[in-house]
Amino acid sequence: MTTTVATPTLTPPSEFSRILHVMRLHLVNRQVYIGIPWLILGGVFVLSLIIALLINYATGDPTGSKLGMQYSWAVISPLWYLAAVAVLAISQSFPFALGFGVTRRDFYLGTSLLFVTSSVVNAIALATLALIEESTDGWGIGAKMFTSLFFDGTWIANFFVYSVVQLGIFFIGACIATVYMRWRVMGMLVFWFGFALVLVGTIALITLTDNWGPVGGWLVAQGTVGIFAWLLLLVALAAFFGYFILRRATPKN
Amino acid sequence: MSIVIEARGLTKNFGKFTAVDNVSFTIEQNRIYGLLGRNGAGKTTIMQLLTGQDFASSGDIAVFGQSPVENANVLANVSFIKESQKYPDNFKAKHVFAAAPSFFANWSQELADQLIVEFRVPMGRDVKKMSRGQVSAVGVILGLASRAPITFFDEPYLGLDAVSRQLFYDRLLEDYAEHPRTIILSTHLIDEVSDLLEHVILIDEGRILIDSNAEDLRGSASTVVGKSRDVAAFVEGRDVIHRDGIGGLSSVTINGQLSQAERVAAVEAGLELVPVSLQQLIVRLSSLETSEGTVK
Amino acid sequence: MDESRPIFVQIAEQIENDIIDGTTAEESQVPSTNEFAAFYRINPATAGKGVNLLVDEGILYKKRGIGMFVAAGSRARLIAQRTDRFQTEFVRPLLAEAAKLGISSQQLADMITKEPSE
Repeated sequence: MTTTVATPTLTPPSEFSRILHVMRLHLVNRQVYIGIPWLILGGVFVLSLIIALLINYATGDPTGSKLGMQYSWAVISPLWYLAAVAVLAISQSFPFALGFGVTRRDFYLGTSLLFVTSSVVNAIALATLALIEESTDGWGIGAKMFTSLFFDGTWIANFFVYSVVQLGIFFIGACIATVYMRWRVMGMLVFWFGFALVLVGTIALITLTDNWGPVGGWLVAQGTVGIFAWLLLLVALAAFFGYFILRRATPKN
Repeated sequence: MSIVIEARGLTKNFGKFTAVDNVSFTIEQNRIYGLLGRNGAGKTTIMQLLTGQDFASSGDIAVFGQSPVENANVLANVSFIKESQKYPDNFKAKHVFAAAPSFFANWSQELADQLIVEFRVPMGRDVKKMSRGQVSAVGVILGLASRAPITFFDEPYLGLDAVSRQLFYDRLLEDYAEHPRTIILSTHLIDEVSDLLEHVILIDEGRILIDSNAEDLRGSASTVVGKSRDVAAFVEGRDVIHRDGIGGLSSVTINGQLSQAERVAAVEAGLELVPVSLQQLIVRLSSLETSEGTVK
Repeated sequence: MDESRPIFVQIAEQIENDIIDGTTAEESQVPSTNEFAAFYRINPATAGKGVNLLVDEGILYKKRGIGMFVAAGSRARLIAQRTDRFQTEFVRPLLAEAAKLGISSQQLADMITKEPSE
């Protein structure tokens, strides 16, 4: 009897299809990336409106809340949830996808595509809401939420800032999760210890060389958009490293 | 004879612990294989290596002649739902089955729907809230409905009750007869599946003890029972794999098929020949821990 | 399913038994390999091996596109085969057991005649 090596019966779909399938995998339960974040934002928005009305009532000024809400952090409330989502995308969806025969590369690319798409779509919505908020002078009652932080004036700048914020949450959160997936507790300890060291070290360096003035000046010179451009660089690095860390990670139980 | 999987010198170490120790075997296309062994013997680890979920410390794996690691050409043909497969927290059963077809080109929705009803899977329940048996049922349905050319079932019935287990065996045979594929089933419930298997690979402590056709194994051992003296005379010069005794009685298991003449001789000598089931054979060979390695 | 002998042999014997006692008539169709496999809950390849054993011996033959059929004259042939084996498989153990119990040939003959015959 002659022995031959069998040929595969099935051919996989194209690379792009496979990446889309991974993206769809994350979205099977619509609530996670779409429903809940907007529910949170919606809830916080309603709360903001109520607070604005209360302030207006208390001060007797129909648009007085504008000043008080200038620094409202409400708009970033969904971000904490999304950070958890990013971590779970790695810690739970990665082993699940591997069980369905997805390669690590396809998984990472599909998940990244999801992160970018979600961030861009949300940023478009948020920038547009900011524009509306500005043009209605705080929704007619001086309520400020979308134009509170980072607001730079132009729609495109806003869009950029909101994108980078969410991309950062996603990719940095995911990257940290890949460190855990690959090196478990030891990896986490090394990472956080190293991070703390770098942070404290940088602060120490600047302090000891009496450089807070120049550093502060440089930051201001960058402007909001500039600072976020630098953050985008950080995000890109997180995305880059996340890929290489995940490539040799296994779904240990 | 077409070979779908070949492992050569496969080894996996976790630190100082060797989970898979220089294992070599071939899997032929469209047969049902039993990967048997005790808990912790290395069955799941081997499956994880064959599907690229984990990386070998040394050795070669060829699935359809290629390495399965990060290889979509291979993985599109493989289905492997681990016994300990975890599902994302927010997923309900319906989400799992909605996701599956994208990844298995041969997916049969008709079969999946039928099995979901038969195994009584609660579609609207969070997977993390389901009982062990229900989670196993989900895994079993994924494996069956995937109709993947190479399908692994890793201890698929933990938590399944006897009725569900029989249902699984029946549906497996039925679907295999209609749509042949290579099936590799790991289990420690040997007697239940022994009739389904065409080929048996027994792993113990990371090494292969048996790699043999199931029919050849069946009847390849007998237990001789009777007065100790008579038994000893009969088993003289034979390959003994197990001894037991009480008072003046002995029960000795010997390896090797007995001819009709030998059987009659045993009866005439006042001895009783007791059949050895596949499970008993494997238990006795495992505890022997033959250092010779592979028994073919 | 007896655990001490290969299943395919037992499948073949079961088919033979059905032919001998008339359950399955000559020139009639026997169930397919897959049907045997499903009924006995065994691997189809094993069932196939049992069927092929009988095909090789000329007991069964294949009608293309339809299935397996019992060959003419197979009943007589099987009975002849079994009669030959009767001596070693049944008579000799019978005599061995009788000897063990001290039953004489005469006693044995009486026992046989006493049994109600079919």
